Amino acid sequence: MYGGGTTFDGAGADTVASEDPGRLQAFEARIALGEKIEPTDWMPALYRRQLIRMIEQHAHSEIIGALPEGTWITRAPGFKRKLSLMAKVQDEVGHAQLLYSAAETLGKTREEMITDLISGKSKYSNIFNYPAYTWADACFISWLVDAGAIVNQLANAKGSYGPYCRALERICAEESFHLKYGHHCVIYLAAGTPQQRAMFQEALNRWWQPMMHFFGPADKLSDHTRILMKWKVKMATNDAMRNQFLDMYVPKILELGFTIPDPKLAKNPGTGVWNYTEPDWEEFKRVIQGDGPCNRERLEVRRIAEARGRWVREALRSPRAVYSMPLA
Amino acid sequence: MKSDPIKSLDPRVGRLPQTDNPTKPPLDQFSTFEVFVQPAPGKPFRHEGPVHAPGLEMAYVLAKEAFTRRFTCSSLFVADTHDVHVFAPDEQSPPMHDMADKAATFTTFEIFQLPRRGKQAVQTGAIEATSPQEALALAHRQCTTTPMPYAFWAMDRRAIRFTSPEEQDFWQTLPDKKFRDAAAYKGGEKLQRFLDTPR
Repeated sequence: MYGGGTTFDGAGADTVASEDPGRLQAFEARIALGEKIEPTDWMPALYRRQLIRMIEQHAHSEIIGALPEGTWITRAPGFKRKLSLMAKVQDEVGHAQLLYSAAETLGKTREEMITDLISGKSKYSNIFNYPAYTWADACFISWLVDAGAIVNQLANAKGSYGPYCRALERICAEESFHLKYGHHCVIYLAAGTPQQRAMFQEALNRWWQPMMHFFGPADKLSDHTRILMKWKVKMATNDAMRNQFLDMYVPKILELGFTIPDPKLAKNPGTGVWNYTEPDWEEFKRVIQGDGPCNRERLEVRRIAEARGRWVREALRSPRAVYSMPLA
Repeated sequence: MKSDPIKSLDPRVGRLPQTDNPTKPPLDQFSTFEVFVQPAPGKPFRHEGPVHAPGLEMAYVLAKEAFTRRFTCSSLFVADTHDVHVFAPDEQSPPMHDMADKAATFTTFEIFQLPRRGKQAVQTGAIEATSPQEALALAHRQCTTTPMPYAFWAMDRRAIRFTSPEEQDFWQTLPDKKFRDAAAYKGGEKLQRFLDTPR
């Protein structure tokens, strides 16, 4: 999932072969023992590069992910829903801050990350390039997109890099209400009028393919992937996470009487593996490369926020302040 | 060249000004500040993470938003990352300090320990010393926990922005904000009624 840009561009120049064998061995032994790696420890260049890429994409996804839901705050039905959605969106932006800081301990500054986001160089979760047409779309995001994110975050919280794990533990604790809130919203739509039920069914039809894209295409089990799994950078394959999501949430969706728009979707009772129609991976690729319904809007909103806030940052900037990398 | 206006479902996006420069000019980074939170009175402070800010006072305000808006907090303090001195016994030799300088004045240092890799640094007490190096060396020497903590942190109290007594009511309303609790979203009964209704 995050950090999955390598699916479409080569693995890069960092090779494990050029690392100091003694240090590499000590590093791998530490991870094998279940110990965490801290920013001041020696680490292979590939480990550092892949983690920066992954944590940075995760941070961008939080900040961009707040946009499709954020546009529903003013139109959320009733004061309570507005209050909840506002708190949720505020959390997502806070999570981006925590993640940028974790990535920063690896040597890329927050400023560079934001520059790479708004110039289109860095990626973020593809699902946020789709629009939220109705309140039911916002509910789908709050419940099921967050559910998918939590599957990934719980897996990554057991990874090897200390600062990322600390940020994820905090994020998971804060997110427990998001999932319950999203489910609550969907229960109310399901138990509501025929129009409300139809509205959620339409949202489900629209979002099912992006949701299946969400975990990324099946991993090629290359040496690259194997090394990242051994170093506990990648904690589960994309397919394993997708399967876990289907296992946990398909029954809950069906329970509410909705239909999932995939006639092939069924669990193999023998293996516990879900069969499904492969989503259109060409579309996934096209949207990642910038040609989705909302790519331009999402980045433009960020660019304008940067441009409009610049005078504030300039006014606040102290010429004596010297930047330092955060500690942990 | 002006690009086409964006067609968005959100009317506010259509009203945004046009920006033709897709990149952002570099701006020097703000400094970073480390944030320490006391979850309840009498409990030790814990390191929660950093914030970016132009100065100590703004760092305090931003830290309050980033780290204490969700879970209980009784007090908070921040210090510039430069003012947090770190010593990791496994990797460094004990810090050198000049004991001969008897005229040097003593100040108080807050001491934190990072028990092991992957954990958070936790406050263990305060030490009087003439330099951060001396404070770290003393903290290391006086430490009796086994195994030895992964790292010691020392901060001169004068460099810390503490929470003043009149600011302690900042967090009083936190427990009232039930809408940020998973427990506030009980859909079970509604769901059961829905499931029991024949369709």
